[in-house]
Amino acid sequence: MSSRALPNPGWGPLSALPGNPLMWVLILSELLVFMAFFVLYITERAAQVALFDASQQHLDPLMGGLNTMVLLTSGLFVAFAVEAIAAGKVRRTRQWLGAAAGLGVLFGLIKLVEYASKFAAGITPETNTFFGFYFGLTAFHFAHVLFGLILLGLVSWRTNVENVETAAAFWHMVDLIWILLYPLLYLLR
Amino acid sequence: MTLLPGQRRLLITWAMLMVLTLVSMASARLDQTSWEALPLWSAALVLVVTGFKAQRLLMVYLNLRQSSGAWKGAFVGIITLTLVLISAGYLYARLM
Repeated sequence: MSSRALPNPGWGPLSALPGNPLMWVLILSELLVFMAFFVLYITERAAQVALFDASQQHLDPLMGGLNTMVLLTSGLFVAFAVEAIAAGKVRRTRQWLGAAAGLGVLFGLIKLVEYASKFAAGITPETNTFFGFYFGLTAFHFAHVLFGLILLGLVSWRTNVENVETAAAFWHMVDLIWILLYPLLYLLR
Repeated sequence: MTLLPGQRRLLITWAMLMVLTLVSMASARLDQTSWEALPLWSAALVLVVTGFKAQRLLMVYLNLRQSSGAWKGAFVGIITLTLVLISAGYLYARLM
């Protein structure tokens, strides 16, 4: 890539990344934090396989799969928003951002339904190690979804190329983490 | 502003991600009445599909294919390392 084509000239190694370079520092650090939690989870699972497998049966993998599709579709809409703002279509950009945020809210609602069903069955983070991880990891991810929704709202208000690219990068990171979280918690047994 | 993937490529990637999500759900044998451990090939397929989904998301949604080779390598490397560690932990639990 030539220096003229760099999206953020003057930012050293971060010059080659779209959006605000500081967002990429956050994205990298968040990925490493989640990676550490995933390794901790799989290590604990190795020590208590029977408990983890028995507990995992109480999760609803179809609901988790549905949420994966909701978040991936939301990611598509955010990518469409980036395309729209690059073409100077501010109104269309806001529409895509609104659609993406709507699916983000739907993701949250599905997650809350899942949590409610667990609590109704008497399952809490205190139940055992597996559910400690389940609630801890999904709630931490959920907090990122909420922060992402705030970012999408902010860039719908202050709509320009850099802001939309920055929020999009964060939203895709939220997507990426869920892609890894879903099979780890719901599918592998 | 970097060169963007374009709506057509984004839609193809989205369709691919949807199909791959269904493939990973199917390979995890969610239709089973009993909750048995997955055959190793099923677990491997779930992890390979996950890795491919993550790679597509990084390259197309996040548009890292327009970035430098170092950044592409760094992000793909983090995801690969994560999946290798998950696979190792899973295998250890299965084989010990």
